[in-house]
This record gives sequence, C-alpha cells and structure tokens, in this order.
Amino acid sequence: MVEKEVEVVNKLGLHARPAMMLVKTASQFQSEIKIIKDNMNVNAKSIMGVLVLAAEKGSKLKIVAEGPDEEEAVEALAKLFAEGFGEE
Amino acid sequence: MEKLTVEKFYNDRKSALELILLAGAGGLSKPIESREVQRPSMALMGWYEGFAAQRIQVIGRTEITYLQHLDQKQLRETLEKLFSYREIPCVIVSKGIIPPPVMLDVADKANIPLFSSKLATVDLMSKLANWLDVQFAPRIYIHGTMVDVYGVGMLYTGKSGIGKSECALDLVERGHRLVADDVVELRRQSENVLIASGTNLLGHHMEIRGVGIIDIEKLFGIRAIRMQKRVELEVKLVMWEELSDYERIGMETKTTTILGVEIPQVIIPVSPGKNLTAISEVIAMDFMLKVYGENVASTFVERLNEEIKRKSRAREYLREDME
Repeated sequence: MVEKEVEVVNKLGLHARPAMMLVKTASQFQSEIKIIKDNMNVNAKSIMGVLVLAAEKGSKLKIVAEGPDEEEAVEALAKLFAEGFGEE
Repeated sequence: MEKLTVEKFYNDRKSALELILLAGAGGLSKPIESREVQRPSMALMGWYEGFAAQRIQVIGRTEITYLQHLDQKQLRETLEKLFSYREIPCVIVSKGIIPPPVMLDVADKANIPLFSSKLATVDLMSKLANWLDVQFAPRIYIHGTMVDVYGVGMLYTGKSGIGKSECALDLVERGHRLVADDVVELRRQSENVLIASGTNLLGHHMEIRGVGIIDIEKLFGIRAIRMQKRVELEVKLVMWEELSDYERIGMETKTTTILGVEIPQVIIPVSPGKNLTAISEVIAMDFMLKVYGENVASTFVERLNEEIKRKSRAREYLREDME
C-alpha cells in the first residue's frame, strides 16, 4: 500500500473538469485507489465519489493505492494535483 | 466529520425545539462533546460532585422555583458558580420560562449560550437526546449503491465498473427506490441498526458510464427515491471468474460487519447478460421470507432428508422380505 498527501493548488478546486481528469487517470491503473478528505473516503475511479469531496483550493487530501501498480498510480495522481490539473 | 457546535445545534433545532437565544451569543462556537443531557438541580443546590459540565444543561420548572426562593445575592452567587464551569456547551430553560435577569447577565459574562425553549421539560429532554444520538452515531462513507427493494435495504458493493449503478437504475425502472449511489453514508443508529443515506451534495444523482451524470429524482420522480434506509443486506458483486466458491444451496448465511453491526451478505457472481435486477428482487423476497420465519433452503433440505429416510425405510422393509 502506498500513501501520499497532496494539496489542491488550482484556484477553482476539484471541480468537474479536474475531477474527470483524476478519474480518467486513476482508471488506467489496476490498483484500488482511494482519496481521503477529512473522514470522507472515496473511490478515485468514481466520478461521483471525487465530486462529492468538493475539495476547495488549499484543502489537503490523501491518496492511498493498493495493487500491482500502486507506486505509479499514486505518482501519476500526485502529479496532476501538483500541476493544478493544468489550471491556474 | 464537521465539528458539532452550539451554533450548528441552534440552526438545526431552532424551530423543532422552539429555541430562542436569550444570552451568551459569544459562546455559539463552543463545541458539544457529550451526547448526554443533564439537569443541574444538585449543582444549583451546591453539590458539584459528579457534575458533568460537558453536557447540555436543561433547567426546568423545579430548578427555576428553587432559584426564585433565593435572595438576589444568593441567586447571583449560585448562578455564577454554575456558569463558572466553562465546559458547559449551553443552558436551555424549558417550558418557555423567562429566567431571572441575573441569569442572562451571568451567561453573557461567561460566554455560555442561554436558550429558552417552549417545550415541556420531558419532551425537550427526549427530543434533545434523540438528536444527539444521531449526531454522535459512528459513521463512515463507503463506495457502493443503496437501493430499497420491496422495502428491504440492499447495499451493493463491488469494484468500480462492475455494474452497481446500472443495476440500481434497472431497479428504479421497475419501481424500486434509490437511496444513494456511489458514496453511501452509513451510521450506526443502535447496537444492530445500520442506517444508510446519501450525501447532501450528491442527492440522488448517478453516473452511468457512457451517458454521464443523471438525476434520478428529476427523471423518475419522487417515488423513485428515498432519503435513508436501514441496511438489511449487503449484495457484493464480483466477477464470475474471480470467484470459485459461491453459494449453491443457501444453507449458510454469510455475514459482514460494518461499524460493529452484523449484516447478512450475499455474493453474486456477475457475467455479461446476467439479469441482476431479477436476482435482486428474488434476494429481497427471500430475505423477507427468512424474516417471517421461512427458510426455503433449509425446508428443501429437510424435505430431501425426509425422502432419503423414507427410501431407506422401504429398502430395509424389502430386504427383510424373504417370501
């Protein structure tokens, strides 16, 4: 199992477009991937799950992956967050 | 989880408990950390041993009558002593009684919110306790789909993309009711009752792959949704090839434990073209039969055993037949 803490850096937060990017990326991996915010724990491959987090700029999330490609999965998702999903 | 504060309590229960904020507004951000309610009669009489300050304090007719018989100096001292316990989240005076002005003054100074409620003390205490029970119930969020099928609360779990939402959509089409899709909030209401509900933001929206996000309430109307439902069964969907050992007779009931509550679990292998809706309805009906005391599988097995016994009796009889 691999864990990593990330921060939402883009201004608009985790709205529909970034959420879609996140889910698309997560779905390319075989591992089970979870995103944790406060006591909410959602599946990174489910768009509704990611949207319900309603993560605003500055909020801290934890990515947890478990499976054959867990390292790559966490790295790829963390990169999306760090780049602000290509937004300001 | 969002922290429970007196302000949240006030906003949430203002009309239900007919609350009026009398004083101590500066303490609205105080946390409520106990699920219990207390009447501070003994404390007002000067006995503070065992006084649980972290509880909401309810002052009724008895306490007020006692306070009224004190002279002004004693009254102020008594109240100042009570309100010196800064852990007190708030104080509620019941029956719409307006407390002596000194109390308002003391509450303001101590920054402890003081409310008046129109409800009778007993009524107020029980409503408060019910609300606190819900607030303090242990809860988790899980990835799954919750549907009410013939009144049986079925929680679908399984990997992303296995068809939980599609199954729920099909069930809704057939007149069953959706509670939540994708993110289900579960809370332990009592020792063996687990309640599932959706999240405020998601409501009764659902994602169907290839279509996008749809709103079940708008599409199918109010009859297709439900706000919350007791979880009575977990239906775990797994890929056909991943599972070799699934139930063939139904003699043993598998269970799973969520938040300490034991829930019967049915594992269903999924393969293309399998009609999960019909299976779901059958699972729900079979569950109801079991609740009403009819276990079809064991009745069948009993019948089988009976038949085997009957045959062996006949065989024995014939064996002794030396005619």
